[in-house]
Amino acid sequence: MKKLTIVLSFAALLSLVLTACGGRPKATDELAEIMARGTIIVSTDPAYPPQSELVEAATRAAETKCASDQHTASELQGFDIDTAVEVAKRLGVEACFVTPEWTMIVGGNWADRWDISIGSMTITPERMEKLLFTQPYYTTPAAFFVHVDNTTYAQPSDLSGKKIGGCSGCTYDFYLDGSLSIPGETIDFLVSNPQFVGYETDLNALQDLALGDGVRLDAVLTAQPTGQGAIKDGLPLKQLGDPVYFEYLAGAIDKAHSVDPLPLAKKISEVIQQMHADGTLLALSQKWYGLDLTTAAGEFDISTLGQWE
Amino acid sequence: MAVETLQPGEIKVDPDLHMGLRLMALQRRSRLINGGKIAAVWLGLVAVLVFILLQLRFDPGYIAEHYGFVLQGVLTTIGVSLASIAIASLMALLGALGRLSNNSIALGISGFYVSLIRGTPLLIQIYIIYLGLPQIGQQLDAYGLSQLGDLFTLTAIQSGILALSVNYGAYMTEIFRAGIQSITHGQYDAAVSLGMSRWQMLRRIILPQAIRVIIPDIGNQFIAMQKDSALVSVMGIWEITYRANRFARKDSKFMEMFLLAAALYWILTIVSSWLEGRMEKRLAHAYER
Repeated sequence: MKKLTIVLSFAALLSLVLTACGGRPKATDELAEIMARGTIIVSTDPAYPPQSELVEAATRAAETKCASDQHTASELQGFDIDTAVEVAKRLGVEACFVTPEWTMIVGGNWADRWDISIGSMTITPERMEKLLFTQPYYTTPAAFFVHVDNTTYAQPSDLSGKKIGGCSGCTYDFYLDGSLSIPGETIDFLVSNPQFVGYETDLNALQDLALGDGVRLDAVLTAQPTGQGAIKDGLPLKQLGDPVYFEYLAGAIDKAHSVDPLPLAKKISEVIQQMHADGTLLALSQKWYGLDLTTAAGEFDISTLGQWE
Repeated sequence: MAVETLQPGEIKVDPDLHMGLRLMALQRRSRLINGGKIAAVWLGLVAVLVFILLQLRFDPGYIAEHYGFVLQGVLTTIGVSLASIAIASLMALLGALGRLSNNSIALGISGFYVSLIRGTPLLIQIYIIYLGLPQIGQQLDAYGLSQLGDLFTLTAIQSGILALSVNYGAYMTEIFRAGIQSITHGQYDAAVSLGMSRWQMLRRIILPQAIRVIIPDIGNQFIAMQKDSALVSVMGIWEITYRANRFARKDSKFMEMFLLAAALYWILTIVSSWLEGRMEKRLAHAYER
């Protein structure tokens, strides 16, 4: 008798839970879903200043449609954040941010947790299997950095067989093992047989390189702005030669979203093309990097990626 | 009938009592002296540690200026750990009852749970709960069970608490089992002879005694959990480690922020082990002589 009561009360509770949260309207595609919600959920990993970083004394925006576990634009800053906010503005919605680890973002299968990554992601064929890319909003030159004390390396090809650090799973990793391919670009692999040392992020690699010439690393391959930023912060490093390749950095959308993500990818691409055309992105690039990193990205032909079929 | 009783108001020095009081005073003094010595050793070690840390290349001024941002994560860390240890204890109790039952289904389920969860890394469990469960929810959605499907889509904080609870629940199952098994058979026999049901026996006789035995172990698990809660930062929860790690990147001040985070965790665990000690003492009252 008592057991029966327990079982029945559990069943009643379960049915209560089930009926309480039933009946959710389903949008036909992801763009419609965003417009209906009034917010676009953007993932960003605030680990790479000046693309995305934390604001120290930030307060959450008082009037916001963002859910309690999302962050408002006021809590973050950087080139990616400004771009995301501008894209949202042109869509007529509010940008809300979530900050999962980078490996979760590039892996796809986001389970509808966020709509788009505006996180300086390089377009690669491997990533295109899981993600849809938007028109790139800027490019990043990748360059080698060595310790200031070093005098033996004059150009990137001198680093063959040396210990080179970089973030695991990033394009630097693929460049060094010779497997990197970037749509619309011919890449010269200048360094042969390097010993790649993987890090969680480039900044950890730069820190290790700063310990001394050849102490833990002989060189680091990273984004030119990241390396230059570390030098500005006082790390004893210098750039070795010219950039070895350029990355096209774009917004990315999960192909496995529960409703059709294609209209969203097309719409965001249009918005970014507008932002290139009217000089908004160039102005943001000058503001955050003091450089024009965007013009080449505006000329990129997104249709060559063959995503729209 | 030569029993002497001390009448109220009648002051009479009992030599035994006097000796006892003196002994207690002596014991108290030696405890105090011992405590002082231990404190001195701690102080010395802290001084050595500070001296060593000052040899590292870091800027204490930077910590003093920016500790506030990391401090904001302390409440998140405490909240996640407290919620997780509570749910984990509940799961561990159920797990232990399963392990100790004669029912083959309960035995099978609890054995499978402990084996699976203890055999896989916590970080991978977090990834699966965060990104995997919602996919099951989407499948249920596709079958038309959208209400049930929604239950599988947990927020980052909920996913973190679930992962920590399930993980620690498995380890603590063994602690609870050992605790329950440590109660002698006489206690069971006595309870049965009083006509108690199995549930009454568990609630009134076995658990109160078992809990006393396992409190230090639960406290130990709680301390470990506070530090493992750092793993939930991969889902973008802004707790101590996340804030320290991401903030450090602004100015490349890694050592500063990591030392700050380490200090905060250390303080948290000192406070919780002190609380655990108080709880242990309280539960030991009945056994004091």
